[in-house]
Amino acid sequence: MKMALSEDQHVCVIPGGFTVLSLRFSEDDAHAALHQLCVKEHRVRSESNTNRPLDRTLFVLNVPPYCSESVITDAFSRFGPIQSVELNEKPGACESSSEASNYFTAKRRQCFRVAYIIFKHPSSVKAAKCHPMNVPLIVSTADRPVKTGIRKWIQQYSDSLINAVSLQQDVDQFMNDYDRCKEEEAERRREEAEQQQEDEEGWVKVTKGKRGVKARPHSEAANERTLQKEEEKKERKELQNFYSWQHRNSQKEHIAELRKKFEEDKQRIAVLRAQRKFRPY
Amino acid sequence: MKNIQKSTKTETDQMEAPDNPQNEDEGAKQSKDSKRKANGTASDDGVLRPVKLSKKEMYKAPTVEELSQLKEAETLFHCSILKMQMEEMLKEVALSEHRKKLVDSFVQQVTDYLQCVPETEVVELDDISWLIGVEVPVVFVPPKAKGRFHMEPPASVDLVGSYPLGTCIKPKVCVDLAVTIPASVFHRLDAINQRYPRKRALYLAGLARHLAFAEFVGSLNYSCLHGNRLRPVLLLKPPGKDSSKVTLRIHAIPPPDFLKPGRFHPQKNNIRTEWFTGVANTQQNSSEPPTPYYNSTVLGDLLPLSHLQFLSAISAQCPSFGEGVALLKVWLRQRELDQGAGCFCGFHASMLMAYLLSTHKVGKTMNPYQLLRNAIHFLASTDLTENGITLAKNPDSKAPSLPEFHAAFSVVFVDPSGHLNLLAEMTAFTYKQIQHEASLSLKFWDDPTVEGFQTLLMTPKSILRTYDNVFKLVNLVKLQTSCKKLLLLNELMDHSGDYVLTALPFILSLLQRGLGERIHLLVHSLPQDPEWPVGSAPPKHKDQPPITIGLLLNFERAYSVLERGPPADSPKAAEFRQLWGSLSELRRFQDGGITEAVLWSGNSSSQKRSVPMQIITHLLNLHADIPRSCIIFVGEQLDMVIRLDKTNHTTGEEESLVVIQSYDDLSKKLWKLEGLPLSITSVQGAHQALRYTQVFPPVPVQLDYWFFDRKKGSLGLVPKESKPCPYYITPIKVIVHMEGSGKWPNEPKAISRVKAAFHICLSELLSKQHNLRCLVTPAYLDVWKDGLVFRIQVAYHREPQVLRESLTPVGMLIYRDNAEAQALELETMRKTFLTSTLHGLQQQYGSFGVVCRLAKRWLASQFLLEDIREDAADLLVASLFLHPAPFTTPSSPQVGFLRFLHLLSTFDWKNNPLIVNLGGKLTAAEHTEIKKDFVASRESLPAMFIATPNDKKVSVWTKEAPSVQMLQRAVMLAAESLRVLETQLDSIESQDMRVVFRPPLEAYDVLIHLISKQVPLFSKAVDPTTFTFSRGIFEEKASTSGALPVIGYDPVQLYLSELREAFGDLALFFNDPYGGTVIAVLWKPAAFEPKPFKASLMNARRVEMNGNVATTVPNVEAILQDFRIIGEGLVKSLELRTEKWVV
Repeated sequence: MKMALSEDQHVCVIPGGFTVLSLRFSEDDAHAALHQLCVKEHRVRSESNTNRPLDRTLFVLNVPPYCSESVITDAFSRFGPIQSVELNEKPGACESSSEASNYFTAKRRQCFRVAYIIFKHPSSVKAAKCHPMNVPLIVSTADRPVKTGIRKWIQQYSDSLINAVSLQQDVDQFMNDYDRCKEEEAERRREEAEQQQEDEEGWVKVTKGKRGVKARPHSEAANERTLQKEEEKKERKELQNFYSWQHRNSQKEHIAELRKKFEEDKQRIAVLRAQRKFRPY
Repeated sequence: MKNIQKSTKTETDQMEAPDNPQNEDEGAKQSKDSKRKANGTASDDGVLRPVKLSKKEMYKAPTVEELSQLKEAETLFHCSILKMQMEEMLKEVALSEHRKKLVDSFVQQVTDYLQCVPETEVVELDDISWLIGVEVPVVFVPPKAKGRFHMEPPASVDLVGSYPLGTCIKPKVCVDLAVTIPASVFHRLDAINQRYPRKRALYLAGLARHLAFAEFVGSLNYSCLHGNRLRPVLLLKPPGKDSSKVTLRIHAIPPPDFLKPGRFHPQKNNIRTEWFTGVANTQQNSSEPPTPYYNSTVLGDLLPLSHLQFLSAISAQCPSFGEGVALLKVWLRQRELDQGAGCFCGFHASMLMAYLLSTHKVGKTMNPYQLLRNAIHFLASTDLTENGITLAKNPDSKAPSLPEFHAAFSVVFVDPSGHLNLLAEMTAFTYKQIQHEASLSLKFWDDPTVEGFQTLLMTPKSILRTYDNVFKLVNLVKLQTSCKKLLLLNELMDHSGDYVLTALPFILSLLQRGLGERIHLLVHSLPQDPEWPVGSAPPKHKDQPPITIGLLLNFERAYSVLERGPPADSPKAAEFRQLWGSLSELRRFQDGGITEAVLWSGNSSSQKRSVPMQIITHLLNLHADIPRSCIIFVGEQLDMVIRLDKTNHTTGEEESLVVIQSYDDLSKKLWKLEGLPLSITSVQGAHQALRYTQVFPPVPVQLDYWFFDRKKGSLGLVPKESKPCPYYITPIKVIVHMEGSGKWPNEPKAISRVKAAFHICLSELLSKQHNLRCLVTPAYLDVWKDGLVFRIQVAYHREPQVLRESLTPVGMLIYRDNAEAQALELETMRKTFLTSTLHGLQQQYGSFGVVCRLAKRWLASQFLLEDIREDAADLLVASLFLHPAPFTTPSSPQVGFLRFLHLLSTFDWKNNPLIVNLGGKLTAAEHTEIKKDFVASRESLPAMFIATPNDKKVSVWTKEAPSVQMLQRAVMLAAESLRVLETQLDSIESQDMRVVFRPPLEAYDVLIHLISKQVPLFSKAVDPTTFTFSRGIFEEKASTSGALPVIGYDPVQLYLSELREAFGDLALFFNDPYGGTVIAVLWKPAAFEPKPFKASLMNARRVEMNGNVATTVPNVEAILQDFRIIGEGLVKSLELRTEKWVV
């Protein structure tokens, strides 16, 4: 552990390049236990997500459930102005769905999360990494208290009561978009179909087709049904116990079946005997 | 373990591949041997695995012997395993050679020692001064008798009973030794006035005194034979560690030709009234009453040697006689029929088998299994109380006839001599019980879906677990007065003053008359043989343990409050009035009839359950002078834990009915709604309250609006921070399926929008057409109706299918199962189906709901309801009703609850699926199919597997939980609760049923105590406090005007779900959802081991540096801090159990 001592404040850096910061829930409780946040500049080999510029993004581990985006923003603003904060359950790609509606989002789990903090300036990331461990960040301040427990649940309950009219509007808007989308698709299909038609001179334009979709819709279930029909046909045609070897075989099968059952029963008994299941009392 | 298996398997494989055909036989043999080994290892861990036979082994040429063996198994089909199981069990109960040697040498020692009993002087019968340090084993009534007595060495000492016959079985190895008293001790007329039994008792005491000096005797006790106090026996045990292995029972018997059997005809008198009462009889000519019971007592002593001869001759003819009798003895023992006064003991079992053999009802070549089956069949089909049977081939002229026997005894089975009724002491009720058990057993035997062996021979049927209502007669001294009241002097004399046995049959028939059609069966426990050391006086009759009486109820009639008698003018009216006394009144009924009737009190179902108790108390008090204080009713106290309304004593049945009626009305209204874009295809309940199984069914309430805040836009009420948590209003879930149509979109997102639109539409129509207040959310619609809240959820039947659909790159439509689709299907289809099926079950078996509720109350209180969830618990209880074997369907809450605990604790979850045949839709073949599938894929299946007709392979209700560990804990808790509960129920002192509803808290690491005013169901806790909080409701009439209430708001559950989401990887959280004020936390040991630092494994942990390596451990202090922060306003304190871990 490298300790960069400056006066009596020290920065705690652990292998892997993470700096350990500490987090306290409220400022008036000086003896409370602290959570440890591990922070590091965001660095991945191939970042496809343009929302996380490599030089300005701080990656934070172990964010307690009561820290929302705004809490993180407040707590980390001391290192510099923040552009945006992203909270995910697991490190990695962006998981927030681009759902426009307020009403149809899946409920978020109240678990420990990781944060991607995008600062406005690259220097803020360095400042955060040099923050000493014994000066904790504060979650709930007097100016911006964080609601937990009963107060939070009452708030949640109150928020869950929604107005039917605005819900209806939301639904209508989505359905309009959806219908338009469908119509466009239908239009496109029709055009495609038209292209497959013969023109006046009898030519058909052959294309690869879009996204490899075949014209004839077919499903797995239908395929299986066909196969099964074939099987049945075969079975119907077959003669049973016609030849003497068939008869012999079926007798053999019968004995084998009995043997198997006998073995099974024997095993069952052996298991029960091992468990002393034959003592009546 | 796995390695061993693998190596044996490869060995097998190698051996199975010999190329040389000449070696084939040998190879097959070897492979079979090794196979056996492999099978042996497979079963070591007690798990069944699918049997794999090699091809060669399956198809090799069968030997004749094997063929016949297989044929036999085939013809017996499902019984083949039963036969094997019985053979295994016989091995368990048979005496080992070692044990036999021990017995033989002990018997020899005792016999030799007894031969040299010293002679004593002749003394008067009353003079017992010569018996120094030993008491006489009988209390004689009256105490005085004339006669003279002296000791002499026995004429002979012989082994009798089961041991020489070879039918003696473990665990209570009891060897009978008959000591013949020499003829010189007796006088010609000794049979009269109890002189013979007195001399016999004195002789036994003399033997006891002599044996007290013997070194090879470990303990010396008196007892009596089958509860008959006139037939004392001496129990000898070897000293030291062998003491539990054998008990020697010494009977003193008269010399064979001393008494003439003809004297003991059941209609003759051998005890003179004058002598017994001590009052001189003034009426000289009045005839003495017959003393059949006393007579058969004396006769019974006379015949053991000839009985042994008879049985030995019979058993010599039939090779499986001994084993057949042994099976029958086990069967009787499991039903508690083989001990005590009036029992059907092993001796009777042998005699019965002898009867069946001698009348050719069974063949001599039959195997033990067939003997048992035929014996049980005979018992089931022959009523010995009406048509007695006799073993006597050609009885002498003095022997009584069967009608004469029937006149004197209730059950008749005459011995080979033709003089003795072997079942003289048995009550008709006990025989009816035997018959009932026999016919039940036959029924289960023939049912291929029932595990015959378990139900027939392995499940103990104690009275508590078998009978719906059980009560105890304590303080038996009161029976003395009932003998007087019932005018039973003659019978008392016949029983030599044993007032318990005298009064019992009369009390029972009184109850039978009174309960009539309310019950199927009335049984009583057999008074057990007392055992006391030779140095102390025999216990008195009144010191006997209480007599237990069990009722098998006829559910349709049992709880009816009205007892309608005959019309006032019919001759039977007087009889009716005599039976019921002052309670009988003339009543006029709606059909115009005026009849005698008795009306019992009882408004709620819980009170109605006490009607049999009221009847019993009344009748016993009226006719037998037995006060209420002498009768203890077992199990009614259990109702307390599910009591809802203290003033009306309801336990939820009525409340459930109200909910269902309100739901039916809502359903009607939904069907009739006009103006819906698509029509409704079904309205189905998906909530426990709609199948009578909600532990505390929702109760209609009226709100105190001052108690709440209001949300703007009159959307509804919101709890106030400053007030206690408001009353919990359960949303009752209802699924409404809308008709399929081409207009439904084909994308999950769009479907959810359309459903939301339907919710809005339904809400508008309901409020417009029926004036109901509604609250719309995207996922559901809450309707506030009759003081209840129904949560309507619209469903589209194709939605799970749509969720499963996906397109492959080549454009093929494929279906892949996923969790989301399954969850939706569970919610909208399976749950509704289960709810309606179980609702039907409640209609069929009236006590189903209440048993479910008791069971779930117990699961909740033991923190198990999160693991064995409501639906699974209901199915477990349903299995008790659908597959009651070896019992009958439970008709009272407590017996159902006891069997629930028994099922949970004894079922072999590892090796068997629990098949719940709802609606009887599964055939026997499907049963086997399910079992086969289960064994084949055991590892991947849930720990607790419940199969139903709709769900043969998955066990949807137990897929998520319980885990193996939690199931194990549940099994353990159930076993312990059952034990404690049964001891509580069995004790005659105060019974505290709540004991089993208090969870043990020792095992947990942290206890989070909650502030009780924020626990909404606080008043439903197992131990309710007198202190209650105002929760914003009036308990009067419900009304649904005004704003919507606070629905489904339970801070404890919110807290728990947040804790589980945040710390689920580190700890388990437990709580009683019905008013528990503590959350128990158990750390997961695996999470507490230091782990190397990883970005994906840092949640709630802290970094520790060891040199250059960073490891992480849970940040316990901060976590505890978080418990407080997350539960602010709800958490009172944390109790750390740091004995097991360090902060």
